Amino acid sequence: MRVANKTIYDTVTYNLGSCIQEMNKANEIVSSGKRINNLSDDPVGLTQALEIKSAISNLEQMQRNISRGNTWLASSESALTHVQDIISETKTLCIQMANATIDSTQRLSTAGTVQNLFDEIVSLANTNIAGSYIFSGSKTDTTPFSEDGTYKGNSNAFTVKIGKDTTVEVGSDGGALFEDILRTMDGLKTSLTDNYLEGIQDAMSDLDGHFDDISAKISDVGSKMNRMDVKEKIFEDIIFANTERRSKIEDADMAGAIMELKAREFAYQAALSSSAKLMALTLMDYME
Amino acid sequence: MSSLGMVLNIATTALAAQQYGMDVTAHNIANVNTEGYSRQSPTLEPKQALLYQGMLLGRGVETEQVTRSVDQFVENKLMQEKSSMLSSQEMEKYMQVMEGIFSENSGTSISSMLSDYWNLWNDISNNPSGSSERTALYEHSVLMSNQFKSLGSDLTQIQIDITNAVTVGVERINQITSEIAQINVKIIGMEANSVANDLRDKRNVLVSELNEYLDIKAFEQSNHSLTIISVSGCTLVQGDGNYELEMGGSNGDRVRWQNSAGNYVDITNYITNGKLGGLLDIRDKIISKYKLDLDEMAKEFIWSVNQQHSQGVGLEGFSAGTGTCDVLNSGEELGTLESGLDYYEKISDGNFNLWVYDSSGAVVGGSANVITIDADTGGTTLSSLIIDINAVDNISASITTDGKLMIDADSGYTFAFSDDTSNVLAALGVNTFFSGSTAGDISVNSGIVADKNHIAAARIDAATGEFAAGDNDNALAMTDLQYTSMDISQWTCDRINGNTKGSVTTTIEDYYHSMVGSIGIVSSSISRDTEFNEMMVNELNTLRNSISAVSLDEEMTNLIKYQHAYQAAAKLITVSDEMLNTLISAI
Repeated sequence: MRVANKTIYDTVTYNLGSCIQEMNKANEIVSSGKRINNLSDDPVGLTQALEIKSAISNLEQMQRNISRGNTWLASSESALTHVQDIISETKTLCIQMANATIDSTQRLSTAGTVQNLFDEIVSLANTNIAGSYIFSGSKTDTTPFSEDGTYKGNSNAFTVKIGKDTTVEVGSDGGALFEDILRTMDGLKTSLTDNYLEGIQDAMSDLDGHFDDISAKISDVGSKMNRMDVKEKIFEDIIFANTERRSKIEDADMAGAIMELKAREFAYQAALSSSAKLMALTLMDYME
Repeated sequence: MSSLGMVLNIATTALAAQQYGMDVTAHNIANVNTEGYSRQSPTLEPKQALLYQGMLLGRGVETEQVTRSVDQFVENKLMQEKSSMLSSQEMEKYMQVMEGIFSENSGTSISSMLSDYWNLWNDISNNPSGSSERTALYEHSVLMSNQFKSLGSDLTQIQIDITNAVTVGVERINQITSEIAQINVKIIGMEANSVANDLRDKRNVLVSELNEYLDIKAFEQSNHSLTIISVSGCTLVQGDGNYELEMGGSNGDRVRWQNSAGNYVDITNYITNGKLGGLLDIRDKIISKYKLDLDEMAKEFIWSVNQQHSQGVGLEGFSAGTGTCDVLNSGEELGTLESGLDYYEKISDGNFNLWVYDSSGAVVGGSANVITIDADTGGTTLSSLIIDINAVDNISASITTDGKLMIDADSGYTFAFSDDTSNVLAALGVNTFFSGSTAGDISVNSGIVADKNHIAAARIDAATGEFAAGDNDNALAMTDLQYTSMDISQWTCDRINGNTKGSVTTTIEDYYHSMVGSIGIVSSSISRDTEFNEMMVNELNTLRNSISAVSLDEEMTNLIKYQHAYQAAAKLITVSDEMLNTLISAI
């Protein structure tokens, strides 16, 4: 084919242009460390990366929800354990006071102790985390129990979301939990004051029932905490796997990218030197 | 008769011919870098022989014509490919801008903002009575609304920029066609005798530049003038006249052609090649699609959030409230297009509870006021709804001057809503989170701007009318929206057949992800097209150059060729001069 001067210049321009474009692309990958720098670099990979990114964001939120829930559950557990201790203590008092050798003065003074224990239960039932009452149902801004043991919360337990379609009750309906206990305590106090032995014995058997109820609640809270821990570990694993997947899609294989850049650089240099040689040639150099 | 004089004559023609050859060579060398120049070469022919004593004797040489080395097929093919190349190059340029706008490299992309939006609702569900969570959600929602708006306005701005580029193109087209018409006149005059090579080259350059802007067909008439016809059969150049294009239409963004009768014909949708074809394609096919899709996504996002929000209640009831959506005609049924509501289609038969509380927080009347909505013809209009609401004690409703529903409670009283099965509250923009219905007008409801306590994380107990600060029922339902698939419209834009609406069932975020992915796919396919077209043009250019471009080596060789022939012809003159001298001295 006939080669005109324009052919040479155009070819050189075109080839150097594509060389430098390739080199620039390779450089972009090396310098950013990412293989997707523009939407068009790998649209399918990008869409996957976006989905993974929002999945990770969601899972991290679930972890925060779980941690929030765990705080509530841990406080509940501690409060309930204390209440359980108080119930045992009260029961021990009952056994002592039910003894026929105990006189009415001793019973009267024990009534004061029971009143203190009653107050302690009310105070535990009014446990508050960062401004929220955990035993107040969903009325978390309302102190659940007044001094006389009246419940002012509601029966809708506070819940957190720990996954799509999964919520866990972390707060409690304090009324269902403590009202009966407080009533028994109040009754016991009256019996002790009135030196009414039968009432003390009734309270004893009621306290056994309350002890079992609180035990059941504690193990329920414990199993929930367990469930949340397991869930959190699973989320952690998924986040890790997703992060790795995302990195595989988005991040550049550095060794490969640098090799590519070197190769492009070499091609560019070769093109530059051959072009310079070719363009310098002319018949005029050989004419007198 | 053969004579010494004849040798001299022949030598003279030879001298003239070689010199002409050198002139042409010089012209070629001079134009080695002239765009569109085709190398010329003289065609030499022996002069008509004379019969002398029964023999034919040659009479020397003459330059018959100077021809251009042109292959019209290659030229035409090159022109076509260049036109496609420029079209895709223009598109590539604007697609890069699009990629920048939808870039996911920053934290302010809609996709990460959407994730954060749902996360913030989760935070509220974790602490419904907390004010910092509410403020965080509010601030983020303002940012996100602005991001939606700036995406929308960025897309509009590119369309405006493209229209400006088209306008510049149209001006250049008019210049070119007028120049071609002028050259036509000159060529008609000059080519009565010979071929006007350089004018033809110049005309070809202009035609080829015109072809860079839009699709054209060029025909040479018998008088050597060029007729140029563009899309829809509109004539741009005929003989010594040209017909101009202009920008017109209601937005000044349509390309129109004015015919000889002075009438305008809109040819915008038929221009498919050249820079204008690329610009119009990207403006009317690609960007308009994503603009519509973005609006559809915003519309569905706003609706789903508002619909859920309107079911809930904040930390306190309203003492007064105004809907955000305009009703154009208060006498028309709310569930019909005629009402002028953006979300009229969402309203269905149903009812909602209107609760009124006195200053102590007790439910007035002890129970809910059930307002029934009939979406069918003859059903609820804004006027009839107002009558129904006004029937409730301690509450008054009215229509604002711009057609919005306004509800006021008597002093000391508050009101709230629950269990709306008709969607009428969300459609009217009452107790909603966002206002607006497109990416361009999304904003946080001014009621929430004024008081973050109106962010509805809780729900009213349908039996008692009570609501609790720690209730997160509605916030939890709100976080479920991120997993909810909904029908979202998706547009296909076609310049000839118009825009059509389809629908996909997906979550808001996935819709956006696939939209961003689709922009990437379109962009990469345009880049590939551009690369391919550039390669084609390069190949054809090489082919064209091999036929038409000047080679300096070749011209140098020709120069020597003509020089030698010139020297030889001069020698002829010397020799015949010597012969004449010999003859004369013999006398």
